[in-house]
Amino acid sequence: MTTMTSATTPEPAALLDVRDLSVVFHGSHGDVEAVSEVSFSVRPGEHVALVGESGSGKSVTSLAVMGLLPTRSAKVEGSIRYDGDDLLAMTDHERRDLRGAEMAMIFQDPMTSLNPVVPIGVQIGEVLQRHKAMTGRQARNESGDLLARVGIADGSRRLGEYPHQLSGGMRQRVLIAIALACEPRLLIADEPTTALDVTIQAQILELLRELVSGTGTALVMITHDLGVVAGLCDQVHVMYAGRVVESAPRRPLFARPRHPYTGGLLRSIPRLDAPRGEPLTPIPGSPNDALSWAAGCAFAPRCGNRIDRCTSQTPELAAQHAYEPGYEQALRCFNPIGEETS
Amino acid sequence: MNPEVSGGRDEVLLRVRGLKVHFPITRGIVLQRTVGHVQAVDGVDLDVRRGQTMGLVGESGSGKSTLGRGILRLGVPLTAGTVEYDGVDIASLRGEQLRRQRSAMQMVFQDPMASLNPRQSVENLITEPMRAHGKPVDTTTVARLLELVGLPRSAALRYPHEFSGGQRQRLGIARAIGLEPALVIADEPVSALDVSVQAQVLNLLEELQQRLGLTYLVIAHDLAVVRHVSDDVAVMYLGGIVEQAGSDDLYRSPLHPYTRALMSAVPVPDPEVEDRRQRILLRGDIPSPAAPPTGCRFHTRCPYRQQTRCDDERPVLRELRPGHRVACHFAEEIDSGAIQPAEAAQMVGTAPASP
Repeated sequence: MTTMTSATTPEPAALLDVRDLSVVFHGSHGDVEAVSEVSFSVRPGEHVALVGESGSGKSVTSLAVMGLLPTRSAKVEGSIRYDGDDLLAMTDHERRDLRGAEMAMIFQDPMTSLNPVVPIGVQIGEVLQRHKAMTGRQARNESGDLLARVGIADGSRRLGEYPHQLSGGMRQRVLIAIALACEPRLLIADEPTTALDVTIQAQILELLRELVSGTGTALVMITHDLGVVAGLCDQVHVMYAGRVVESAPRRPLFARPRHPYTGGLLRSIPRLDAPRGEPLTPIPGSPNDALSWAAGCAFAPRCGNRIDRCTSQTPELAAQHAYEPGYEQALRCFNPIGEETS
Repeated sequence: MNPEVSGGRDEVLLRVRGLKVHFPITRGIVLQRTVGHVQAVDGVDLDVRRGQTMGLVGESGSGKSTLGRGILRLGVPLTAGTVEYDGVDIASLRGEQLRRQRSAMQMVFQDPMASLNPRQSVENLITEPMRAHGKPVDTTTVARLLELVGLPRSAALRYPHEFSGGQRQRLGIARAIGLEPALVIADEPVSALDVSVQAQVLNLLEELQQRLGLTYLVIAHDLAVVRHVSDDVAVMYLGGIVEQAGSDDLYRSPLHPYTRALMSAVPVPDPEVEDRRQRILLRGDIPSPAAPPTGCRFHTRCPYRQQTRCDDERPVLRELRPGHRVACHFAEEIDSGAIQPAEAAQMVGTAPASP
């Protein structure tokens, strides 16, 4: 097993490269295309965000990367390359070896992702025994150190505790400890703080920032919260109804959103630092109103910038002039903010 | 001593004094012994003025929802204190009197899917409260209510599952306003909704307030949401109010260390702001309300904790500035910079420490 010494190679080759990913679920009422034409890449040490609301396909994308989708009901197509190797061409066994050791995931709800009847020490230790071939005793010692690293005081004494004995923030720390046990080079965090209180969220985000920065670990952050993205991620991909609608580095994305959906999201969130009394500008309708991409732009029914073309032709994700070199900047819109044709 | 809200310029519709809600913890199956109490709400004073919005913000376990339900007497037995609504003490009402009183005070719940009966049509759902209180109902009532909450008339014959989350919350609001209440208590009205839909519901609440002259008590964990809709904001921590002020005042100059930490923890969707701001990271979790800390309940996590007084004496809410009340022994010293945070507190961010 490879142990990571220094992942920050001078060469900025992508660690994870996803091209034209599509995920189709076979259901009893026909096929559902949950994700399509999703492309993004993550370099070592980079923090990338996939932002979207419920149904945007952001979680399905991350599960496809991890190889955690049911093989019988979900058809994954496109290419997912990790460190140059095509993950979709690998056997289940090969992917299992990567998962946990090379790439790890933190889920939203720590209560449902931890086993309630197994002590936390065993749950952390099992990753180490599986991937690092440690003995039980070694794994136990290492687990205690890991708990200390994620900020659980007295870590080695708490290894015998069960998930229900811990608070929500503590459980999330245990999940992070499990994810980081083998020093993965890619960490996917799916709404890691959504179930937590805001002061605990600040603790966990700070912890993630601390653990990930400087080690060269690449982070993919899946979230609906643009506030979380603003402080943590370099590159942002905004998703709507299964496709990426806008990609940009965070500064231009927040300062000058081009897609009407991105702009609409930013205008509809109450900001703590904005002067009070300004009415919010909501996006009309709900994510359920999305059209099929085959018929036009899925966001068209809710879009204030809609023109005739939007409901008759499907917009492509077009690369834009890169604002900062090395970042991806792309837009899927016929009538973007700032360049309205009508 | 209960300091009155300054000025008295507006009429107080809801006056809560010394409200306590303690839930017994019992042990044993046949002979149940009470072995302790969860002090969910422990001594809350609150004034809500007519036509205004009071925001109640706090994290999980702060007792904010229990306080809301306690005011309405919704399945929550009051341990002590008074709740005066329009001059009537509802804490002492029983049975039919209480039921009648409730038509003037309605509630909007967090999860519209769980609070709407899936087997009832919309028409049935939104007229049920009116029928229960013997108010006349006809077809125009339903149409008018649907119009008020921004739903089409055709919605009347449909069922909850046919609606999106935002539309269901509109139905929940229609149910609440059908009885023409003066006071509406909204418990986390938008936290179950998608981000792009939250603003629709917040705007609807504001619009209804203007059209119908409603008084709101909005309970939420999201400080940005609460600040946006509220005239006054009360911050709760472990069963008590630690700070209460006008919405802008609270944001501009928070006085309680908890409010400061809470405010600094809320992420702002703006990289320029996020990169510059300083965060006060609180250590640990909110303690259990079954065994709250002695003295100031925040002292176990407070970066400004001072020896012995904070541990021994529980601070009362006192008015530091007109309309701005805070429950902290050392609020003035912290505000002036005379007391600096202990090193134990983690301050992160690039900005220099400002007093």
